[in-house]
Amino acid sequence: MAGTMKMEPTAWCPGCGNFNILASLDRAIEKKGIDRKNLVLVSGIGQAAKCPHYTDANVFNGLHGRALPAATGIKLANHRLDVIITSGDGDMYGEGGNHLLHAMRRNIGIKVFVHNNQIYGLTKGQASPTSEKGFVTKIQVDGVLSEPVNPIAMAISEDCSFVARSSSVIPGHLEQMMIEAMICKGFALLDILHPCVSFNKINTFKWYRERVKELPADYDPHDRVKAFETSLKWGDEIPVGVIYRSERKSFEELLPVLSEGTLLESLSK
Amino acid sequence: MDINIRITGEAGQGVQTTGDLLSRVFSKAGLYVLSTQSYQSRVRGGENSYDVRVSDHEIFSSRSDVDLLVGLTAETTAEQLGFLNKSGIGIMDGDSIDGVAGIDMKAIAKESGGTAMMVNTVAAGAVMAVTGLGTGMLSELLREEFRKKGGDVAEQNIRCAEAGGRAVARHAGKIGPLTPGDAPKYLYSGSRAIGLSAAVSGVKVVSSYPMTPSTGVFTYLAGAAKKYGIAVEQAEDEIAAINLVCGAAYAGVPAMTTTSGGGFALMAEGISLAGMMELPVVVFLSQRPGPATGLPTRTGQEDLLFAVHAGHGVFPKAVFAPGDIKQAYDLTREAFRTAHRFQSPVILMADQFLTDMQKNMAELPFESDPIDRCIVEAPSQDYVRYAITDTGISPRAIPGGDVFVVADSDEHTEDGHLTEDLEVRVRQQDKRMRKGNEMLKEEYSPGIYPEPADEVLLCWGSTYGPCREAVDKLRDGGRSICMIHFARVWPLDGDRIKKLLQGRRVISVEGNSNAQFATLLKQAGALADFETILKYDGLPFTADEIAGRC
Repeated sequence: MAGTMKMEPTAWCPGCGNFNILASLDRAIEKKGIDRKNLVLVSGIGQAAKCPHYTDANVFNGLHGRALPAATGIKLANHRLDVIITSGDGDMYGEGGNHLLHAMRRNIGIKVFVHNNQIYGLTKGQASPTSEKGFVTKIQVDGVLSEPVNPIAMAISEDCSFVARSSSVIPGHLEQMMIEAMICKGFALLDILHPCVSFNKINTFKWYRERVKELPADYDPHDRVKAFETSLKWGDEIPVGVIYRSERKSFEELLPVLSEGTLLESLSK
Repeated sequence: MDINIRITGEAGQGVQTTGDLLSRVFSKAGLYVLSTQSYQSRVRGGENSYDVRVSDHEIFSSRSDVDLLVGLTAETTAEQLGFLNKSGIGIMDGDSIDGVAGIDMKAIAKESGGTAMMVNTVAAGAVMAVTGLGTGMLSELLREEFRKKGGDVAEQNIRCAEAGGRAVARHAGKIGPLTPGDAPKYLYSGSRAIGLSAAVSGVKVVSSYPMTPSTGVFTYLAGAAKKYGIAVEQAEDEIAAINLVCGAAYAGVPAMTTTSGGGFALMAEGISLAGMMELPVVVFLSQRPGPATGLPTRTGQEDLLFAVHAGHGVFPKAVFAPGDIKQAYDLTREAFRTAHRFQSPVILMADQFLTDMQKNMAELPFESDPIDRCIVEAPSQDYVRYAITDTGISPRAIPGGDVFVVADSDEHTEDGHLTEDLEVRVRQQDKRMRKGNEMLKEEYSPGIYPEPADEVLLCWGSTYGPCREAVDKLRDGGRSICMIHFARVWPLDGDRIKKLLQGRRVISVEGNSNAQFATLLKQAGALADFETILKYDGLPFTADEIAGRC
């Protein structure tokens, strides 16, 4: 055994949006100059949740829906680590929805990159929390009856440090959004729209490509009401970019026991 | 000399305040104190009681009979009258009822310049007078207690205590009477001992969702967080708590969560994760009767089989169940040590009886003394997290060092990446299970009191105290009987235990309806036939009850 190295991404279908997300992540890590030995990639379960295995980093690939609490524990133990979650819409918005709500309340310095393909891939094509109303599957035979989750609006309502949307169909933009998320101090939610070539025949590469539209240069992400209005836009045009920013302090900055250094270091004193 | 004082009243009336105050005064007086609580799941009303048992020799359990009953309401006093001994004395707030002397505690508090809330101090003063110790030491304690608050509060309380004493002057010294002794003066609850030991052992991340009767440990640790440098975070639910603790353990710090039955059930998947990722996590499980919400504030020992088997799949874990407060302190450290030595989850079990119990003893060590986390200092470049070894224990590195640490909930290769290679799966499963065999090699002998005998009261966890006192009573009556108490209840070495129990009449004393520990021993081949004394009404055993059923 020659040490611990990344795996080849063999579990993804050819043409899957995850490939572009992984490539953007790798470029963002390099450009931001993150020390990979100090980086922990955390995920839950799903096709997107396999992403951490496919790049060089420390990995915590935990339980379905539980990436956020695990990442919170890692950050509390050693807040000098860069902790990034890279997982899917089912994992983050479905099974782990409650954790997302509370992680945003804490504004803990975890960067969450959600691979949002609006479908459950690994379980073979059921609706996800972001599937659009009327979306027909073998389970939702009459089409989805519930409203899709709006993660962007939810994150703005919780006053997260950084709320952005991008897509695997615009990899250069995605890379830039990842870098900006890495720079921010508190909680960062980056919702990444991407196609599922096997199961989502509606929200395809072409579908996203035709709709994503960068925010205008004079857009002010600090305007919370405007940001909320922007978060409600979905249809022929889907805005991408940094939709909201807050100067709220991160959980690590507020927790008194972390002010003297990391808890991990305190054990070796 | 051995007296039992019971304070009874509605939730919100200060039953606990009075009981705590008395426990501290008797401890200060150098008497042996053991206090226990019985309360309902509500913030106001109902019936709560707080027992303070005081003796000139060490005591281990609560009693059901009462020598001095103090009632804060007529209804709760009437409920408890049946437990009052013939030679006992009852005093209550308000008018006298049959056999109980009524004194108007609220009026006394007001006349002494105090507030209505100071009925607690009036009641405590009355108890001090009836037990013959007088109110002097209580006054000293009140002065220390309220000094910080400033103003007249301390003096008001002292006047209330003294007036309470005068109001029962005709009963002065009738119970006991007590005289100061030389018992150790440090009073600990089970919760405090467990929390303190976790802090001293170096716990750095604690995350829980509040749930009676485990909340005491969580609260203690929140209070100790700054002193010991602990991140204490209330999780959104128990699933978050256990996963948060898994993350912290992965990152290299001792971590613990605290919970009770229903919360523990939610944690089962996370415990399995700790088994798979080989993470040293400690779960404190304070039991209460179930199923479901059950009796939220009562005691029981119903979750042993669940704890031993908690988590899907097969993986090694250790389960500890201390018998008393000192053992709770010692075994909490042992839980952290074991979790780190074997990179496995450890479940530390108690129950409402033990966590709420208070007892005085020699001071417990409080200086920070972190356990060995068994982390490999300088891993080589060919380091892999799940290396196959003879003992099953792989060198553990943590993220942030010179090598990547990959941990997966999927079956994984030695380097931690997910795999579906079925031969690798078998090798990793065998590796993990070898750690269970290693755990069994740890030195451990169950507690035998006082010495092996023909009959055995077999017990585990908090049943220690009542069983021990029952053995004393039965031996006084000429029976050849002993107690064998297990504080490490999993894994079990069936062969060794069989040798210990062979040829004796074994009576398993357990706070459940299906003799869970005896069942485990039977499964392990350690026990063929056994009798049982079981109790599952939500209350702790007493020695009299056990002795009477033997």
